[in-house]
Amino acid sequence: MSIDSELYEFLELVDGFGAENRPVDLSAIVLKLKCHVDEVDNVLKTALKAGLIERSNDLLRLTDRGRLIVKTHRERYVHKEYEHGHGLTGRVTELLEGRVRNWRGHWRKRHGFDDRALENLYRGLGELKGRIEETSTLADLRQGEKGVVAFALGGHGLVRRLSEMGLTPGTEVTVVRSAPLHGPVEVKVRGVSLALGRGIASKIIVKGLERDAESGAGT
Amino acid sequence: MQRAEQEHSLTIALAGNANVGKSTIFNQLTGLDQIVGNWPGKTVERAEGTLHFKGYTFKVLDLPGIYSLSTYSIEEIVARDYIAIERPDMIINVVDASALERNLYFTLQLLELEAPIIMALNQVDFASKRGIEIDVQRLSLALGVPVIPTVAIGGIGIDGVMSTVVDVLEGRVGLKPLKVRYGKEVEGGLDKIETIIQERLPELSAKYPARWIAIKLLERDEDIEKKVQSNQNGKEALEYAHTIVEEIERLHGEPSSVVIASERYRIVNNIARDVTQVVSPPKTMLEEKLDAVTAHRILGYPVLIAVMTATFATIFVVGDLLVGILNSLFEKTLIPIIAGALSVVMPQAFVHLIVGGFFSGIGAGITIALPYIVPFYIILAVLEDSGYLPRAAFLMDSVMHRIGLHGKAFIPLLLGYGCNVPACIGCRIMETDRERFLAGLVVVLVPCAARTVIILGLVGRYVGLPAALALYIFDLVLVFALGRLAFRVLPGEPVGLIMEMPPYKMPSLKNVGKKTWARTKDFIYIAFPLIIGGSVVLEILRTTGLVWSIVDLMAPFVNGWLGLPAITGIPLIFGILRKELTLILLSELAGTTDFGRILSPLQMVVFALVTMIYIPCVATIAALVREFGWKRAVGVVIIDILLALLIGGSAYRILAAYIQ
Repeated sequence: MSIDSELYEFLELVDGFGAENRPVDLSAIVLKLKCHVDEVDNVLKTALKAGLIERSNDLLRLTDRGRLIVKTHRERYVHKEYEHGHGLTGRVTELLEGRVRNWRGHWRKRHGFDDRALENLYRGLGELKGRIEETSTLADLRQGEKGVVAFALGGHGLVRRLSEMGLTPGTEVTVVRSAPLHGPVEVKVRGVSLALGRGIASKIIVKGLERDAESGAGT
Repeated sequence: MQRAEQEHSLTIALAGNANVGKSTIFNQLTGLDQIVGNWPGKTVERAEGTLHFKGYTFKVLDLPGIYSLSTYSIEEIVARDYIAIERPDMIINVVDASALERNLYFTLQLLELEAPIIMALNQVDFASKRGIEIDVQRLSLALGVPVIPTVAIGGIGIDGVMSTVVDVLEGRVGLKPLKVRYGKEVEGGLDKIETIIQERLPELSAKYPARWIAIKLLERDEDIEKKVQSNQNGKEALEYAHTIVEEIERLHGEPSSVVIASERYRIVNNIARDVTQVVSPPKTMLEEKLDAVTAHRILGYPVLIAVMTATFATIFVVGDLLVGILNSLFEKTLIPIIAGALSVVMPQAFVHLIVGGFFSGIGAGITIALPYIVPFYIILAVLEDSGYLPRAAFLMDSVMHRIGLHGKAFIPLLLGYGCNVPACIGCRIMETDRERFLAGLVVVLVPCAARTVIILGLVGRYVGLPAALALYIFDLVLVFALGRLAFRVLPGEPVGLIMEMPPYKMPSLKNVGKKTWARTKDFIYIAFPLIIGGSVVLEILRTTGLVWSIVDLMAPFVNGWLGLPAITGIPLIFGILRKELTLILLSELAGTTDFGRILSPLQMVVFALVTMIYIPCVATIAALVREFGWKRAVGVVIIDILLALLIGGSAYRILAAYIQ
C-alpha cells in the first residue's frame, strides 16, 4: 500500500486532513496547489483508477480505501520523516516542538493549507504522540529484554496479521535473539517463538515492562 | 447424520496451525506417505486419503497449516472456503499442547465458522517434558467439544480420535460448541449486521454463517467485503459495518481487527490459563542449548556453512564409493551376462537394442543417479525433521532481502538442492504472488540432485572436488544476481518475515527412512521410464544413423560456440526430460562411463555449467506452469536457455587460459 508523495498530498487535500467528510470541489484543490488543472490531471486519474476517490461532476470524495491509505500513510510519514531523530518519542516531540514551525510553513506555503486543516493535522499528531510516549520499538530491544506491545504501525493487513499471531496490545514479548546485519528478531510471545523481520519489528511499538507491572498491580 | 450413516462415506478434514503434527496424524489415519517435516508450511497442497473405520469409509483431508482464517495468504482463503462451503462432516482440529493459547485462537475461529469439530490435543508428551500439564476434561468442557490427547508420532490416541469422530457422528457424544462473545460495542454491531445479512443477502449467508460474515466485515476482511459488495443488496450491510468499525476504532483507538483479535486472545488466554498447570519450572533443555548455538548471531553462520559443506561432502564421498561398487557390478558382470543370455534366443540387432537401450538405461540410472540422490534425500530428511530449516531461514533473512525475498524463501531454495519440483511448489510459503514468482525464478537455477549427479559425477570425479565446489559457488552468485535483477524489474513491494520457529526435535529413524523411501520411489517412478525410454530412442537413432543429422544441425551451437564435442548435443536435448540423462546418455553414446576419454576437463566444466542452467527439466517446467501460468513459465525457460548459452560460451573462452 505504498503511494508516492504527490498522490498522498493530493489525497490529503481531498480529505482536508480528516476535517471534512463532505465532497471537495476540484477547483478548490487546484487553487490550493496553485497550479494549472492539467497538472493535477494525472494524479487525479491515478486516484480514480485505484479506487481511492469517488467523483461526481467536479466534486471529489475519498473512498474508504482512500481514507485507510491516507491514515496509514500519515502515520508512516511521521514515522519516516523523523527516523533519524533519537528514538521514537524524540522524533514526535521534535516534530511538535522543534521543527514544527518549518513544517507548518512548508505545508502552508507549498500547499496552501489553512489553519483549520493544520489544526486537524496537529490534533492527529498529538494523539499519536500520546501513544508513542515512553516507548521504543521491538527492534530496539536487546536480547533478553521484555516489553509490552503498545500498538503496531503499518498497513491494515500487517497490523491484523501481527495481532492474529498473538502480538495484540498489552501482550508481553521477550526478545530471544536477533540476527546480525539488520536481520530478523526472534521473540517469545504467548509461549511461541516467532521470527520477525527487522522492518516489521521496528513497526511494533512496545512499552517498558515495569510501567505495565505498576498499572497491572493497580487493577 | 442419518443420511451420512446410510452412505457410510464421510469426509473428515485435519485443520490446525502449522507444524502441530497434522501430517503425522494424517499418515497414521490413512497409511499414506504424506511428507512430514519440522518446518511451517510444508503441506502446501491439501493431501487426500481414505480410512476404513468401524464400517465407515472416511475421506481424510490434510489442510495446510494456518494461523488464522483471514486473507493473509492464499492457503487461509482456501482453507476457510473449504470448511465453510464444502462442509466436511467432521473437522479434527489438531492442537499443539505446548503452545495451547496460540492454537486455541485458531480453534475459536473454527467455532465461529460453525464447523463441527473435535480436538486432537497433540504432542502432550513434549508438553509434559516442558512441565506443562493440561486438564483435558476442563478444556473439553470450556470449548464444548471432545478433546483427545494424542502423541501422533507414537500413534497414541489416534484410535480414540476416530472412535470419538464416530461417536459424534452417531450422536452418542454431543457437541455444545462455545459461543464466542465479544465486548458490548462489537456484539451490538454484530447483531445488527447479522440481521441485515440474513435479510438482504440470503445466498451469501447460505454459504457462510451470517454472524461469521458480520465478524469478517468488522475485521475488514477484503475477500468478504468484495463478496458482499458484489451483491446488489450488499451496500446496506457494508455501510452499516463501516459505521460500526469507525465507532469501535474511535472507542478503542485501535483498528477494529486488532480489537477483535485482542478479544479472541483474551478468551483463549482465560481458557488456557484455566486448564494449564505448569508442574515443574521449565528447565533449559538440550534443544534450547542447540538453538542458542545454531541460531546465534555469529556462531550460527559457521554452523550453517559446516552443515552445507558436510552435506555435500557426505553425498560426494558416499556417492563416489557407491558409483564404483555398482559400476563394477553392472557393467562388468550383469550386462555381459544378460547380453550373453539374450544372444542365444534372438538376433544380434535386437540384443543391441535391448541391452544397449533398455538394460544400459536401467544400469546407468542405478549406477550414476541413485548413488548421489539417495544420500542427499537422507540428509534432507534429517534436516527437515530436526527443525533446522527455520533457523537457516532466520539467519539468511537479511541476505535474502538483498534479492527482495525474506528468509522463508531460503527453505524452498534449500529444497531445490534435492529437486526443483517440490521447491517450486514450496514457493507457496511466500505470501504474495510477486514473492512466489521471484522465489520460483531463482529456485529453478539451484542445482538439484540430478544436476549434482553431473557436477559431482563429472567435474568432481574427473576434474576435482574444488572445481565442483567452484561451480556451486558460481551458481549461488548467479542465483543472487538474477534474483536481484528480477527484484528490480518486477513491480511491487517486498513483504517482511513473520515465521514461527518450531522447537528442535530428534528426527526419528522411521520417519527419515519413510521419507527417503517415498522420495526415492517418486524418483524411480518418474525418472526411470524417462531414462529407459530416452536410452531406447537414442539406441534407435544411433542404429538408424539419424543421430548424425541432428548432431550436424546443433553443431554450430554446441561445437562452435560452447566448444563441446558435437555429439553432446544429443544428451543436452534429452536432458530436458531429466538432467541426469545428459550424463547417462553421454555414457551410452560414447559406449563407456569413463568420461575422461570423451571430454577434456574444460569441456566437462562447460558441459556441467550448461546442464546446470540451460532449462528446467520437464517436471519442473510443469510445476512452473501450474504455479505461475504458461506465460511466466515460458519466460523462465527462455531466460535460462539464453543464460546457459551466454555463460557456457563465455566460460569456454575465459577458462581456456586456465584449464585444458
